[in-house]
Amino acid sequence: MSRSASNSLPTTDLLKTRGLVKEYHSDGVSVEAVRGVDIGVGIGEFVAIMGPSGSGKSTLLHVLGGLERASRGEIWLRGQRVDKLSLAEWAVLRRKHVGFVFQFFNLLSNMTVADNVELPALLAGVTPRQARRRREELLSDLGLSEKAAASPARLSGGEQQRVALARALANEPSLLLADEPTGNLDSSNTRDVLRLLQRTHDRGQAILLVTHDARVASMADRVINLFDGMVADDHPVTRIPRPVSSVLELHGL
Amino acid sequence: MRATFRWARADLRGRRGQALLTIGVVAGVVAALILATMLLEGAVNPWKGLFARTHGADMMAYLSYERTSGAPVSTAPLAHLPDVVRMAAPHPFSPATIDTSTGEPRIQLTAMPAKLSSLSMSVPLVVAGTWLTAAKPAGIVIEASFASSIGVGVGQPVTVQSADGKPVRLTVVGLADSTDQGFYPQATPGQVWVQQSVLKRVEPSKSEWEEVVDFRLANASAIASSQVFQAIYDAYPTSTGASVVQRFTTAQQVEDSMASDDRLLGLLLGLFGIIALVAAPCAIANVTAGRLLMHRQDLAMLKALGFTPGQVVRMLLAEQTGLGVVGALLGVALARVITSPQFIHPPDGTTIGLAPFPGSWVALIAAGTVLTVALATAIPAWWAGRVSPVAAVQASPPRGHLSQIARLGLLVHLPAALVLGARDSLSRRLPSLLTVFGLAIPLMMITVALSCWTTIDGFSGDPARIGLPAALVVPVPASGMTSHQLKALLGRVGTPYPDANLPPTPLPGDNGTFTALAVGTSRGQGRYPFQVVQGNPYDAPDQAVAGQGFLSLMHLSVGDLTLISVDGVNVTVKITGRILDADYNGDVLAFGMDTLGTYGGPQPPGAYDVVLRPGLSPAAARADLLRWTNNQLVVSMVANPADSLGIVRVVIAISVVVLAVIGLASLLTATAIGLRDHRHETGVLAALGLTPRQVIATLVVNTTILTAIGVSLGVFLGLAVAPRLINMQGQNSGMGAGIATVPSSLMLAAIFVVSLLVTTLAAVLMARRTMRMTDSAAHLRSPARRPTRTSIS
Repeated sequence: MSRSASNSLPTTDLLKTRGLVKEYHSDGVSVEAVRGVDIGVGIGEFVAIMGPSGSGKSTLLHVLGGLERASRGEIWLRGQRVDKLSLAEWAVLRRKHVGFVFQFFNLLSNMTVADNVELPALLAGVTPRQARRRREELLSDLGLSEKAAASPARLSGGEQQRVALARALANEPSLLLADEPTGNLDSSNTRDVLRLLQRTHDRGQAILLVTHDARVASMADRVINLFDGMVADDHPVTRIPRPVSSVLELHGL
Repeated sequence: MRATFRWARADLRGRRGQALLTIGVVAGVVAALILATMLLEGAVNPWKGLFARTHGADMMAYLSYERTSGAPVSTAPLAHLPDVVRMAAPHPFSPATIDTSTGEPRIQLTAMPAKLSSLSMSVPLVVAGTWLTAAKPAGIVIEASFASSIGVGVGQPVTVQSADGKPVRLTVVGLADSTDQGFYPQATPGQVWVQQSVLKRVEPSKSEWEEVVDFRLANASAIASSQVFQAIYDAYPTSTGASVVQRFTTAQQVEDSMASDDRLLGLLLGLFGIIALVAAPCAIANVTAGRLLMHRQDLAMLKALGFTPGQVVRMLLAEQTGLGVVGALLGVALARVITSPQFIHPPDGTTIGLAPFPGSWVALIAAGTVLTVALATAIPAWWAGRVSPVAAVQASPPRGHLSQIARLGLLVHLPAALVLGARDSLSRRLPSLLTVFGLAIPLMMITVALSCWTTIDGFSGDPARIGLPAALVVPVPASGMTSHQLKALLGRVGTPYPDANLPPTPLPGDNGTFTALAVGTSRGQGRYPFQVVQGNPYDAPDQAVAGQGFLSLMHLSVGDLTLISVDGVNVTVKITGRILDADYNGDVLAFGMDTLGTYGGPQPPGAYDVVLRPGLSPAAARADLLRWTNNQLVVSMVANPADSLGIVRVVIAISVVVLAVIGLASLLTATAIGLRDHRHETGVLAALGLTPRQVIATLVVNTTILTAIGVSLGVFLGLAVAPRLINMQGQNSGMGAGIATVPSSLMLAAIFVVSLLVTTLAAVLMARRTMRMTDSAAHLRSPARRPTRTSIS
C-alpha cells in the first residue's frame, strides 16, 4: 500500500491499528510483545483489554499512547496516522487528545494535588485561571476539593487514583487509556474509580482499559482478549442494564 | 511555559536541600575563584590593591621648609598646574631614627591628622591596631612591612630621635599599609606616622622639616608626569639653584618597587584556575546528574503527560542555570564580605595584598561559572530528555543477581549486610560511577593542593632541598680579620665554604646576565652541598653544575661543555649536573673556587657561605657571631623564597575547603540517590529477615565501599599528577624540576579515614531517618519508585 493511500484510509473509528507489532531486543534475542494486532475503538466507546500476565496488554496500551514506538504496523488516531510521529509530536498529541491512568497512580510527588491536576491544562496552553476553574470542577466532582493543597503522599490509594483520573481528564481528552486503574485498590475504592470511569464514558469520551478483572471488564462495551501478543477474541459485552455498584455488590466486591 | 514554571517551582520547593546544595557549591566556587585570584594577583602585584584601597596619589612632591624662617613653603602655586586634577593638603615630615634591637634604621616621621576621613589621598590603610587618636597623643603608627622588618608590634614602646633632638618614647598604636613608597627594606626610610605635636617634640627645629604634597593627575603616564615635575620646579623660581623641591615619587615607581618577580606565584594562579575549572563542572555535573537520577520517574511521568523531550531539556537547563545564577550572586556577595578589611587581617602585620577586582572580572567569573553550570547540566538534561515515558509506569524485570563471589561470601557466613551492600555498590553502574568520580575528582585536586603545601613546607623546613644549604653569608671584612681567622670563627657555628663572590656575569651575546658561583672546592670534603637533581655533582676543576634557568638560556643540557667568561677569565667547563636553585631563578652556573684558580682567576674568597650545624637556627648563629666579634662582622641571613609563599598556603587552604564542600555535596547526593533507590528494597530485605540494623548496615556498606573506591582513585590520580604539575612549575620558574614533595602517607591515610568516617556518619544518619519515616510493610505495599532490582536469588 502506498503512503498516500495509507494516509487517506477512511475510518469512523477514533483509534484504529493495523498489523501492529512491538518488538524488544534483549541479549541479542528479539521478542515480540505485540504481534500483528488489528483493533479499533469507536468514538465514545468503552473497550476493555484482558489477558493473562505477559500477554502484551500494557505494552499495547503504551504503544497506542505513544509512550513507546511501534516496531511495525499502523496506528490511526482521529483519522490521522500517528505511528510515524516523533516523540515530541506524540507529546503534543497526548496533551489534548489522550489521557493516561496507571495502576500505581504516578502522581508527581513534589507537586500538590491541585498542581498535579492543573499541570496538563497549563501544558495545553490554557490560562492559569481556566486551569484552576477546571481543576476545581474536577476535584469537586471527585469529592477531593478539600485535598487540593495536600501532597499526594498524604492521600490514600483510592484518593490518589481519583486525582490521577482528574489529571487524565483535565483536558477532556477524546481517548482515555487506563492501565489496570483498579489493580492496586481495595473494593470500595475500586467501586469509586469505576463509577468515575462510567461517568467519563457517559460524557462521550472513549476509554481503552487494560484489566485482569473480568468483573471490571464487564462494564465495557466490548472486550478484547490478548494472548501471546495477539488478539484472541474481540466481542461485545452483553449485559442486563444495571448500575455498576449493584454488579460489584453482587460479586461481593 | 506556565507548566514548566509550575513544575520548576514545585520541584525547588520539594527538593530544597538539593537546590541549596547546588547553590552552595556554585557560591563556594565563585567566592573561592574571586578570592584566590585577588590574593594571588595581590601577591604578584600588591601595589594595585593597596593603591585602590589607600586612594594612593599619582605623584608626590617633597618640598623643604624655609631654611631661615622655618615656615612651610606655600603650595598654592601648585594647585592650578596643568594636568593636576587635585592636590591634597601637604603633610610635614622630618627624618629621624628609631631605636630597635638590631640597630637604628632611618625613618620618615610624618605628621598626620587624627581623623583619616579628612584625607582625600594617600590614606594609610590600618591593618592592625588603630589609627592615631587625640586621646593618645604619644601614639605612633608604623608602616606594616617596616614594622615586620624591625620586629615591632602594636602596644610596644619605641624610641625615636632626630639628628639633633632628644629621644622621644612613643607607643605603637597601629600598623598600616601605604603606597607612598615600596615595601621596606627595598624602599627606605621606614615610614612612620605621628600627630604634629609629636613631630614637634622629636624635631623642634622646623627648618629641618619638609612637606609632602600628593597630586591626582589627569594623565599618570611617564611623559605627563615629567611635564608636571617640570611645572612644579618652575613654580618655585630660585636664583641660587637650591630649589625647595627636593624630589618626586610617582605611583609608577612605587608599583615597580613593590612588584614581585616571583614567577612561582603567577604560575600557582594558573594552577588554581585549572583546579577550579576542572573541579567545579565535575561537581555541578555530579549534583545535577544525581538530582536527575532521583527525578527519573517524575521526568518520565511529565513526558507521559505531554512534555516534549525539548521541553524537559529546556526546563532542567533553566532550573539549574537559575540555581547557578543565585549561587554566583551569593558567591560574589560572599567574596565581597570575605575580602572586606574586617575579615582579611594580615597576621602580625605581614602585608597581604588584595588586588582590586574590576567589576568586569567579577562578572566574568560569575558568568563563566553560570555557563559552566549550564554546560554541566546539558548532558544530564539531554539524557533526561531521552528518558522513556514508560519508565514512569513500567517496572523493569529484576536484573540483579548474586555473583559467584557474593554467593561464596554468604556461604562462608560473611555478614549478609556486607555481602548485599557490596553487591549493590557494584551492580548499580551509573549511580556508582557518578559517586566514584564525584569523589575522585575533588580528592585528586585536594591531593594536588596538599602536595603544593608539602612542597612549600619542605622549602621552609629543609632549605637545602631547594638549593639553599647555607643559612648565613659572611663577607670577609676588609680589615681586622683574615679569611683564615674568619673561617675558624665560622667553624664554631657550622661549615664555612669560601665563595669568590663574583659579580653578575654577562651572557654570551650580551643578552642578559647569569650568576657564576665559585664556591668551596671542586672535589673532596670542601665541595659545596648543592642539591643535584639530575646528573652528578662536579668532581674536578673543569666541571660545573647549572640551574635550569642557565641551561634554558644557553640551550644546554647536562653533559655539555660550555665556554664562559667569568670576571675576565675564560673558563671551559663540562656541566655534570643540574641543581635546584631558589636564589637566582635558576640562572646560575656553579663550580669550585679552584676552577678559577686553574685559569688564573681570583683565589681569595670574598665571602663565606655557612652551612649551620643541625639544630642551630640562623638567627641564633647570627647573634652569636655578632656577639663574638662585637658587631664587627656583617652577617646576612639567606632569604628563603618559601617565606614569601605564605599567601599560597591561604589559597591552598581555601581551595581545600571548597573542594571538601564539593566532595561532600557529591557524597550527600550519592547517599540520597542510594537511599531513594533502596526504599523499596529495605522492605524486601526486612521481609527476608534482616534486622533494621542489618538493613541500615547494608545501605551504609554500599555507600562506604563506593567512597573508599572514589577516595582511593582520587588520591592515586592526585599522587600521579601532583609531582608532574609542581615540577613543571619548578621548571618554568627556573628553580628546576625535582622540587615536588608529596604528602606523607600519614596525611593520606588521614584523608582516607576522615572521608570514610564522614560517609559512614552521613549514610547512617540518612538511612536511620529513612527507616524511621516508613515501616517496612509500607514499602512492600507502595509501588516501586523506580525499577526494582530486588531479586537476590
